[in-house]
Amino acid sequence: MPKLLTRYFKELEYTEDAVFHFGAGIPGFEEHTRFLFIDQPHTTPLIFMQSLHDPGLCFIGLAASLVEPNYRLELTPEEGVALGMSYAERPEIGPELLPLALVTLTAGQDPVANLMSPIVLHLGTRKGIQAIQLGSPYSLRQPLAAVGQVAPCS
Amino acid sequence: MLVMRRRAGESFLIGDSIEIEILEVGPTRVKLGITAPANLGIARKEVVLTRAENITAARSTDPQAIAWLSRALEPALSRSVKSLTARSSPQAPENQ
Repeated sequence: MPKLLTRYFKELEYTEDAVFHFGAGIPGFEEHTRFLFIDQPHTTPLIFMQSLHDPGLCFIGLAASLVEPNYRLELTPEEGVALGMSYAERPEIGPELLPLALVTLTAGQDPVANLMSPIVLHLGTRKGIQAIQLGSPYSLRQPLAAVGQVAPCS
Repeated sequence: MLVMRRRAGESFLIGDSIEIEILEVGPTRVKLGITAPANLGIARKEVVLTRAENITAARSTDPQAIAWLSRALEPALSRSVKSLTARSSPQAPENQ
């Protein structure tokens, strides 16, 4: 079983079918096309998006529905194809499609989540994209303070 | 902000070396043709913003801050699980 050095969990074993493939990477990290999504009980509800190309690159994500309970996702047919779906399928949030918001933690500021450009995973095809939601009401930097009793980062 | 009206087939210049032509006007979108020196970067604004935010997000690496956030979000998690269950129940039969 292949092993992976991770930023936060030391060395993890993983199977190839756990890997998500991002054909185009994500903006700023186009060369990173393979990621593992690590969801550990002691870090719930955070999901760690670990690059298989660089142990030092690991994003923190949250289910978008956790940040915005009525989160709506609009995907183009082209984005559906990038997720391994057929052009005719209508990609919608469901058991197979999971949108994640990447979280930014900056010292002295409220943590924020990116709802405008969610990471979208297709759990069946194991493909992922970052789907920028044009014309959506969602913010690139949605404060998490609105979610729970979250105080500013010290 | 400078505002001007143009029709398909018309164009305008920015400085001496950048030309923007309106190629097509649709009901919800316009198609533009841009002629500019190769050393000028041209990118969709939302992609530039997303790239910058991704780069900042990738620096969110303080383990203490991460552990703190995980704890702080626990109350929100229990609320969200309820709403997810409520929303997914009407479409319970699985699509194969």
